Amino acid sequence: MTTAADAIAVPSSAAPTPTRERFWYPYLLIAPSMIVLTVVSLIPFLYTVFLSLHAAKFGRVTDFIGLDNYIQLLTDPRFWNSIGIAVIFVGIAVPIEFMLGLIGALVLNQNVRGRSILVPLLFMPTMMAPIVVGLLWKIMLAGSWGFFSYNVLERFHLIGNTSVFASPDLALFALIFVDIWQWTPFMMLAFFAGLQALPLGPYRAAAIDGANGVQIFFNITLPMLTPLLAVIGLLRFIDAFKVFDTVFILTNGGPGIATETPSILANKMTFEFWNIGEASAMAVLIWIAFFVFCNVFYQVAKKRLNAF
Amino acid sequence: MKRRSWYIAAAVSASAMLSAGPAAWAQSFYATAAKPYKGTTIRVLDEITPLQETLKTMVPEFEKETGITVKYELLNHFEVINKGQADMLSGRGYYDAVMLHGLQLGPMLSAGVVRPIDDLVKNGKLFNPKLDTADFIQKPYKSLSFYKGKQYGFINWNYNQVYWARADLLNDADERAAFKTKYGYDLAPAKTFKQMLDIAAFFTRKKGEKLAGKTLDSDFYGVVLEGIKGGSTFGTLWRNFIQNYGGDIIDAKGQPTFDTPQTVAALTMWRELWKYAPPGIAEYSLVDVPTVMGKGIAAQTLAWSDFVLGIDKPGASPFAGKFVYGPIPMVEGQKGERHAEAEPSLEIISKASKHPEATFIFLQWLVDKKTQAELIATGKGGVPIRTSSWDLPVIKDSPNKSLFEAMKSTLAVATAKPKLPKYYELYDALSGIAQEVGLGKLSPADGAKKGQAEMLKLCKTCLL
Repeated sequence: MTTAADAIAVPSSAAPTPTRERFWYPYLLIAPSMIVLTVVSLIPFLYTVFLSLHAAKFGRVTDFIGLDNYIQLLTDPRFWNSIGIAVIFVGIAVPIEFMLGLIGALVLNQNVRGRSILVPLLFMPTMMAPIVVGLLWKIMLAGSWGFFSYNVLERFHLIGNTSVFASPDLALFALIFVDIWQWTPFMMLAFFAGLQALPLGPYRAAAIDGANGVQIFFNITLPMLTPLLAVIGLLRFIDAFKVFDTVFILTNGGPGIATETPSILANKMTFEFWNIGEASAMAVLIWIAFFVFCNVFYQVAKKRLNAF
Repeated sequence: MKRRSWYIAAAVSASAMLSAGPAAWAQSFYATAAKPYKGTTIRVLDEITPLQETLKTMVPEFEKETGITVKYELLNHFEVINKGQADMLSGRGYYDAVMLHGLQLGPMLSAGVVRPIDDLVKNGKLFNPKLDTADFIQKPYKSLSFYKGKQYGFINWNYNQVYWARADLLNDADERAAFKTKYGYDLAPAKTFKQMLDIAAFFTRKKGEKLAGKTLDSDFYGVVLEGIKGGSTFGTLWRNFIQNYGGDIIDAKGQPTFDTPQTVAALTMWRELWKYAPPGIAEYSLVDVPTVMGKGIAAQTLAWSDFVLGIDKPGASPFAGKFVYGPIPMVEGQKGERHAEAEPSLEIISKASKHPEATFIFLQWLVDKKTQAELIATGKGGVPIRTSSWDLPVIKDSPNKSLFEAMKSTLAVATAKPKLPKYYELYDALSGIAQEVGLGKLSPADGAKKGQAEMLKLCKTCLL
């Protein structure tokens, strides 16, 4: 006999079991962002790898040439010069930004008067569009008539008859200075936000134990802040290595190749020389370098610093 | 009676046609040739300078005459190169015609994106028999538009460099006397590089010193040159200095020849002149040089004459009317051919153009004698592409006579750049060397050696 209940029962094979539902549900949720990422990131990256393995000049992709573009690039002193420039740039700018940012954050954290006004003001350089930063400093440091060049560098005979951006010895340091000016406030505010979020319990305990400021900083603040310092430091490192816009506006890699960063060189290879194969190889090489570096950094930060 | 009226009407219309002259015939040619293409829209990309802005105001005349709509887009020097090339190389064909500087032809021809126009020239329905190509200034036209037996366009712009100096300073009695005492000859626009260097050294003065009887409130420089990496810095060095010194960057076979004694001599003069230039010279582009001259900060320069037109006019500079121009200086006792930097440029038809015929009709109209005469008259001057333009009243009777004479002198010897597929790479490397030598970071001899090595790295035979 078939009962009414049996008649309306849905066959078990047609209805999703709770287990199967649970299995697909997360994938369904991340599907939109995965599709977007695939379209805007993965496919262009795979195409870049494809281009790097082909002769691609003037927008025409012709023969498969294996690793020729990579070999060409790795034997080009200009590529190594650009890497050297980036290493100097990052090696000087990021640690200074980091240190000044941390010191500034610690000062801000001491309930400084007028903090609510100071914080938005400090953030101004970081909020500026890179093109504005470039133009601003171009005007400030322009040879002989620039506001800073004329009133400071020339008046006090700090730099003899030359323009900062026209000097192969000074241009890179001027760019580093501009980067520090722009990004130190960002570091400061990021660290300040981290300091504000630290729990008060350990500080109270330290105060009861009679710890001094230095002991508190090295034994409580720094260890608790390390994950944030690691993340911000890594992000800034990657960003500084890829610097393009301000360099493009201020020197465009010159004079000569004195400030030619990898991004500027890649831009030239692509849009001036139309050597797309080699430029793609450069993009892939830099990606691999960063991939390796970030992974090593992640492992070290995780194990040694308890970050992440 | 009826017959007599008919004769009179015929005679009147014939005399009207004759009095209108060749222009009327030419006009009717474009209207007739364009009939099958009426309603077509073409897109043309050109560079923005005062000349093209004037031309833009005339394009509606062509549209009215032919029924072809022309979207005439003007972009700055760097954008027109990047955007035009990108469109052609992508094969998208958004632009039917793109302005190419002579230097771009090598890379673009090697990429195979320029449409030859030989078939259009041979087509009796499309080619204006009265275009009078023999009237184009021949050296720039021939070297620009033809390559290996094919024609790629006409000639639209004859950008050229001239010597430009402050006449008020050169004519100042006290300065002249002091100069003669110091150098033993009369102060005048430089005819040789040695004289240019003497003038540069003589007029370089510090703030607080006197210049033509007035106390300087800022430093004054004897010379200004384009020194930025890229731009036309290397063109200035190559064709004004290196070639006049008897050198070149390639030989007839296209093999690099940058490390010759002639190049070293040219680089030495280049370096010497930079010593008397403003400190920011390595940042100065082709736009900055006329600005510096217009502001009265330097005594002399070598500059693009079309930029001069924008500065030496009332209201544009306090020194307007106080300038003098001359041919590009030569080397003392120069025996070889004279050289001068110029950048003859043309509108080419993109290979991806969907309307090559309508575009071809427009390109002829652009260079037509009547259009050119009107362009020069409307713009109150300009840079001629036709020999006959020198006789136009606006040029012949110009108050800026020395400028047009200087242009004429440059264009008499000017040629387009050789067709180098790796032009941009070569230019980038060599303009870096021009900067390094100018700034004193490399000696002229080392610069020549380094330049040769850089060239050899890029091409053993550099010609297309």
